[in-house]
Amino acid sequence: MLRLALKSLLANKIRFALTTSTVVIGVGFVVASFVVADSLRASFDKLSEDIVSGTDFTVRGQLTFGDLTETEAPLLPEELVDQVAAVDGVESAAGTFFITGVTPVDGAGEVVTSGNAPVAGANWTDDAAISQWYLMEGEQPRGAGQFAIDISTFGSYDFELGRDYQVITPTGPRTFELTGVMQFGFPEDAGLGAVFSIFDTATAQELFGLEGMVQTIGLRTEPGRDAAEMQAAIAAVLPDGAEVVAAETISEEFSDAFEGFIGIFQNALLVFAFIVLFVSTFIISNTFSIVLGQRIRELSLLRAIGATPGQVRRSVLTESSLIGVAAAALGIGLGMLGALGMRGLFSALGAELPDGPLPLRLRTLIWAAAVGIGLTVASSLLPAIKASRTPPIAGLAEGAGGEAAARQRWRPIAGGLLAGLGLLLTLRGLFASFNSTTAQLVSLGVGAGLVFMAVAVLSPLMARSVVSALALPLGRIFGTSGRLARANAARSPRRTAATAVALTIGLALVTTVAILGQSLKSSFSQSLQNTVAADFIVSQGQESLPAALAEDLRSADAGRVVAFNSVQAQVGGEAHTITGADLDGITTVANLGVVEGSLDGLDPAGDLLLHQDPAGDYGVGPGDDLDLTFPNGETRRLRVAAVYSQTATFWGNWLVDRGLVTEMSPTAGDTVVAVDAGAADAEGVRASLERALEQYPQANLEDRSEYQASAESNLNTLLVLVNVFLGFALLIALVGIVNTLTLSVFERTREIGLLRAVGMTRRQARRMIRWEAAVVTLYGALIGIALGLGFGAAIAAAIPADIIDVITVPTNQLLLYLVLSLVFGLLAALFPAFRAGRMNVLEAISTED
Amino acid sequence: MTDTTTLAVAARAVGATKIYGAGDTEVRALDAIDVSFEQGRFTAIMGPSGSGKSTLMHCMAGLDTVTGGQVFIGDTDLSTLSERDLTLLRRDHVGFVFQAFNLVPTLNAIENITLPMDLAGADGDPAWIDEVVDTTGLGDRVKHRPNELSGGQQQRVAVARALAGKPQIIFADEPTGNVDSNTGAEILDFMGRAVTEMGQTIVMVTHDAAVAARADRVVFLVDGKIVDELADPTPEGIRDRMNRLGT
Ligand SMILES: Nc1ncnc2c1ncn2[C@@H]1O[C@H](COP(=O)(O)OP(=O)(O)O)[C@@H](O)[C@H]1O
Ligand SMILES: [Mg+2]
Repeated sequence: MLRLALKSLLANKIRFALTTSTVVIGVGFVVASFVVADSLRASFDKLSEDIVSGTDFTVRGQLTFGDLTETEAPLLPEELVDQVAAVDGVESAAGTFFITGVTPVDGAGEVVTSGNAPVAGANWTDDAAISQWYLMEGEQPRGAGQFAIDISTFGSYDFELGRDYQVITPTGPRTFELTGVMQFGFPEDAGLGAVFSIFDTATAQELFGLEGMVQTIGLRTEPGRDAAEMQAAIAAVLPDGAEVVAAETISEEFSDAFEGFIGIFQNALLVFAFIVLFVSTFIISNTFSIVLGQRIRELSLLRAIGATPGQVRRSVLTESSLIGVAAAALGIGLGMLGALGMRGLFSALGAELPDGPLPLRLRTLIWAAAVGIGLTVASSLLPAIKASRTPPIAGLAEGAGGEAAARQRWRPIAGGLLAGLGLLLTLRGLFASFNSTTAQLVSLGVGAGLVFMAVAVLSPLMARSVVSALALPLGRIFGTSGRLARANAARSPRRTAATAVALTIGLALVTTVAILGQSLKSSFSQSLQNTVAADFIVSQGQESLPAALAEDLRSADAGRVVAFNSVQAQVGGEAHTITGADLDGITTVANLGVVEGSLDGLDPAGDLLLHQDPAGDYGVGPGDDLDLTFPNGETRRLRVAAVYSQTATFWGNWLVDRGLVTEMSPTAGDTVVAVDAGAADAEGVRASLERALEQYPQANLEDRSEYQASAESNLNTLLVLVNVFLGFALLIALVGIVNTLTLSVFERTREIGLLRAVGMTRRQARRMIRWEAAVVTLYGALIGIALGLGFGAAIAAAIPADIIDVITVPTNQLLLYLVLSLVFGLLAALFPAFRAGRMNVLEAISTED
Repeated sequence: MTDTTTLAVAARAVGATKIYGAGDTEVRALDAIDVSFEQGRFTAIMGPSGSGKSTLMHCMAGLDTVTGGQVFIGDTDLSTLSERDLTLLRRDHVGFVFQAFNLVPTLNAIENITLPMDLAGADGDPAWIDEVVDTTGLGDRVKHRPNELSGGQQQRVAVARALAGKPQIIFADEPTGNVDSNTGAEILDFMGRAVTEMGQTIVMVTHDAAVAARADRVVFLVDGKIVDELADPTPEGIRDRMNRLGT
């Protein structure tokens, strides 16, 4: 049976290649996802180790709640460094800083950027092992006028030792002499693309506005000391609110924190990989059905000469296992290339991933093999069972290749059940409340998957009539070849449906994304229209702005300046993001839509403005008090002054004075600075703002429409990324159409030969095949877009109103998709049409089958 | 049938040679054949299996090309035609009936009959088409798909298609080879009427002496050469010749 399977594969090389390619792409995607994520893991694990190598313990402010990634630990008093150093057995201790939002400007005036890595300031320590800053060139910066820069920034930007450069710090832009080039970690650089400006400790404290404080204390104990005893001894000298943590624990914490986002990243990629695999399943299964249908004579002969149904089944399954093995092996190779491609894609879209090795772990190989072989075999299971039921006399019956017209009563029932269950799970995923996002996504994903399966099951019931209706104009436009194309598209509803379903899934997802994207944009634009009254907005992407910027704008006397920052706080055990804003001017830049209470005479120290949702949740209104606990451990009782109804990107559900946020989190920069021109001439105000911002080249000054455009362009980047990944599902669909059509053309060799014999020209033959493909794709596309409309609208409705409150359908885009599908179908038909056109008339009509 | 010599020629072969393969495996399927088929006549081609009958049909109908010599449909030398022109010639001037699988399964009988004209985007001659369709005796079954027709009905539809476009000549390669003898007689009657009543020119390959006897002339082929022919044949005469030719 193995020999039979091998022979059958070799005899049909094109089909073998096409079938395999769909699995290869899917497996490649899985492999690339794992490899890229593992590569990130390797880099960040190294970073997590380097952060603490050279220290045995870290002393830091205790986090009252949340974890490292969400909040920053409170600062420590500087004196604590000496007290810790004085503990018996401590060899060396030093205070260290890592403050984001410290941006150098190079010799060409270019602001140094990093993609997604932090742009930060740090201090070096005498004991280099503690800060991990090693001098590579020049001299350590000393005093208020000197700084050093990290080695990778030094290499990629225009910097020279001994010259003066501007560095924008939280306390404003300053000029420093560049005295050294430093490297984080030794012997290898572990900076991972982050940009660092390095100062001596006193300068760092002053620049960051943190005089008398340190962020963390790194320390090393004398060799041979007992770790537990040392930890206890150090803990004994610490004040309340500080803790001593072993280096390994810190390293693990970082590792876990990094794994948090690497895991999400990996799973997001895997979701796309599984979409591709899901789509491939339909293609593989369809291919096997067609091929086995064509081999019915051969199979019945086998059965007639004594092959048992089991043997036939095994032979088919052996064939599919072989395809699976080949596909898995090729997929691993493609995946490694794909990993490089993914890196390239991310960097092209401005989200650079760190360069590093591309580790191919055993887990990845196991997944590749399991997915590649498992999926192929599973997809061939039904066709194999059907083939094993071939009666020995089947080959004698005329009309092989035609479809049994038997009414399939199970279809509406099974389809209905699948659809019902699928919709239920989808809606549950959208609207029920979940404890974990994973559970919610699984419910949503499985639901959508079931709906697609329902479509696959139900589609053959309507394929014939819908396709005939869609193709009605073809006869009028193209005459006989058009009519034949229509008849061919409708002749095997099951095949047409199975071919179209891959495209349906792809387009449904693309359409869903299009609707969500468009709805996000229009909701954003509407919220900007209705709730943001500011004329100009200053921001720096995801980075925060130095607090000094707002003061400088204020002194420029150009309109009303309102800065926003934010901090986390706990209320009744639950953490919330608290927005800080200059409350006295808030009404000039924000339309809060106050529903209760008033914004008159606000007390910056004790007043809280609350959105109506949390006000309802906590059952409070104007005049009521709430206790907010901040990351530094302090609890403040604030009075609700007003309840409002509008949020925007600048502010969320909780609004307090910006000074309060700065007090609770001294390292918090401003997220955005809004300016209201008032009655003054907007152009004039803009000019003054631009002048004031000259010393902050990293800051973007935008009016409202510019601000909206750049927010949309960020969203567009994300949408492009998602669409590129979904594009692979569409690619599979294309392969599926090519595959089916090639097989159908082969199956109709005699018929096409006959048509050519009685006078159909090559061009007419090609046209007939092309439009058959076009009709099938159009059918798949229409269902896909319809499903996508449903999914998109449902998801948009389920997304909270402060993110999406207007559901918008991008009609033009959807029409474009429809047209593209048509083009897609015509393209898919190129090869099969070429084969049909080139078919030798005589060979065709003398084909024995 | 007295003035046969003055009839125009519908198709002819001059030194037509067809060689398959090369060297050791070379097969000379047609060996310098000279033959003419006059208009309005019914010719039967006979010969042992492998003698080149089908090859001759294919080459003369423009389905295949000769490797030597010339083939004419009317005055047109097929060897001068491009693939496209050859296709158009088949569509507009030649009819063909195969042994089986003559019909497009997705088209009904009447659509199959008008297929060449439809491909040409032409209307044909409606009165003539009605007449041809009538003679198939299909009645209202003309709206049925081939899989709903019997083998004999299918072959009659195939002949009707060959007739519908009023081609210069119709080639039929064992049109009754796949049906029982009653049905074969039906089809043959139909073809005979096409010649006598409609003035068609038909060249037909057959193995059956009784069938061949319905023709005006029988041409005998052996090893790619024309070895003999009979005018106004009788079944006995044909059997006699065939025995002498050793088949
Ligand atoms: N495509 C081909 N390739 C090689 N040889 C062929 C081919 N077609 C026919 N022949 C050979 O040409 C000869 C004539 O075949 P054919 O015309 O089919 O004979 P007939 O129809 O009289 O039985 C035979 O020997 C056959 O084997
Ligand atoms: Mg023959």
